[in-house]
Amino acid sequence: MNLSEFYNSLGESLEEVLERLRMESRVTKYLGLFLSDPSFSELKTAFAGSDAKTAFRAAHTLKGVAANLGLNKLSASSSELTEDLRPGAFTANSEALLSKVEADYNAAVNGIKQLEQ
Amino acid sequence: MDEKRPLILVVDDVPMNRALLSDVLSDKYNIIEAENGNEALVLLRERTSEISLVLLDMVMPERDGIEVLTIMNKNGWINEIPVIMISGETAHALIEGAYMLGATDFIGRPFDEMVLKNRVNNTIRLYRKQKNLSDLVLNQIYEKTRNNSMMVTMLSHIVEFRNGESGMHVLHINTITEMLLRELLRRTKKYNINKNDIGIICTASSMHDIGKITIPDEILNKPGKLTPEEFNIMKGHTINCAQMLNAVPVGKDEPLMKYAYEICRWHHERFDGRGYPDGLKGDEIPIAAQIVSIADVYDALTSERCYKKAYTHEKALEMIHNNECGVFNPILIECLDAIADKLVVALQTFDWSKQADKDFFYIADAMMNDPSHPIYNQAFRQFIDERKKCHFFEFTLNGILFEYTFTPSVMKLSSKASQKLGLPRTIIDDYKPGDNAQCATENLEKIRKIIQRKSTPKDKPISIKQTFNIDGKSIPCNVKVLQIWAKGKNDAPTLTSVYGHIDVIQ
Repeated sequence: MNLSEFYNSLGESLEEVLERLRMESRVTKYLGLFLSDPSFSELKTAFAGSDAKTAFRAAHTLKGVAANLGLNKLSASSSELTEDLRPGAFTANSEALLSKVEADYNAAVNGIKQLEQ
Repeated sequence: MDEKRPLILVVDDVPMNRALLSDVLSDKYNIIEAENGNEALVLLRERTSEISLVLLDMVMPERDGIEVLTIMNKNGWINEIPVIMISGETAHALIEGAYMLGATDFIGRPFDEMVLKNRVNNTIRLYRKQKNLSDLVLNQIYEKTRNNSMMVTMLSHIVEFRNGESGMHVLHINTITEMLLRELLRRTKKYNINKNDIGIICTASSMHDIGKITIPDEILNKPGKLTPEEFNIMKGHTINCAQMLNAVPVGKDEPLMKYAYEICRWHHERFDGRGYPDGLKGDEIPIAAQIVSIADVYDALTSERCYKKAYTHEKALEMIHNNECGVFNPILIECLDAIADKLVVALQTFDWSKQADKDFFYIADAMMNDPSHPIYNQAFRQFIDERKKCHFFEFTLNGILFEYTFTPSVMKLSSKASQKLGLPRTIIDDYKPGDNAQCATENLEKIRKIIQRKSTPKDKPISIKQTFNIDGKSIPCNVKVLQIWAKGKNDAPTLTSVYGHIDVIQ
């Protein structure tokens, strides 16, 4: 799978990312780094430990990182979760929003792994 | 690192974000990174004057972006270092809060590489321009002060030379007046003067005798005692000067004019009302004139004049205490006693070239302490802070320390060094320990040899083994010496100062 196919498979656009970051090699490099970014696992851990503050920060980070890489679906679902957690406590919606983030995250990660091969 | 490239501090808790930013910017800028607010503040403190821009994330552990901005405000850094917030944050109130705290700009995520580069570039250029302008103003203030102070010194010297005096008199009065004033301000708030007046009063003190241009040569420079008639004419220099100043068409409401008038007219008044020309009593005599009159008397006593020899410092103090030169305000005599030791050193080590700098420091000091226009120049603030820190460490660590500057050539010892080596705290070049101070003479020679050591500029301290005579015994010591060199544009580097630490080998 090439870079363009990867973005298409997620319903995103490589052109949009390239307009901002200029170089394909740069995009590829940071997608690779995204695999080792701990934000998502921190988010999961925070949910497991009922730590809403850390969860908020992790979701916030994930939102920004994803946005930079043009992973707009992941950025949008993280953004929803961020706003849900902003007051500093879990709500009735939090778990459902997390599942949405998780699905988007897994889709992106699986794609990047195929890209890497 | 290339020194011409601006330095950017990137603050973000996510390594990927930092990497991306430095990736985009590192072709034109040097980058340092901090992974949370605390780290950022440490770097800001250490490298305040180097950092050209901060790229600041908002949501971080260990102090977030808003907290960093708050502290940058508190320390005044925000006035010199621009901050661009860079964040995926969309909460309107938070972004507005950042702007209110002085953030220059906000870049949202996802950011566009081209836009980021341009905003960074423009912000750095703008701040640089502003900094150049403020440096320009500061330099001009410095030049102006220097010229003004030189003018006053020149003119008052012309008057002094006509009196057949050395010309040092004016400068001595200046120094004594300043020290007395500072001491007086420490002791009482009774007189309506503050720190900002010190510089003006000192300048005005230079003019205390300009009225003497109205006194004929044969009276002014008469070697013998004046007749009562002649003395009356001589006394007229006070009133004459006051009349001259009144006739000056400008500066009527200026503090300098007010103080110059008070000092010229009343510096021969005495506290008991037996002075001249108006016979004012006690605090009817303006405090500036009271101070200059005691300074004038002290310097006249300790200097040689055509009609008398110089008295010693101790004798002069004794005569002032015994009211032999008229009665002075008791609080000023207290002040004179308090500064007596420092005064001797200050008058001996007087450096003409430093006079203008001193005036400049008055202004700087006043500006830094004035909330309506505080000095925003970080390098300057840092310099003042470093000086204070230096004094504090010297005092607390109580080490055997010495320092030497070449212009003026003065050696200073820490109190421990002075005690161990048997030498005074401040040593000027022609100082010689007494005949029976064998160990002091020996120690001084050894230190002088270390100071005059041939060397080339290097940044690292030099280690030297040297014995010193401590308590009559020859004690081996390690001496660490740091030399400070100045590099002129074209000329060879010159040694400007030497710092040393003497460590006794146990």
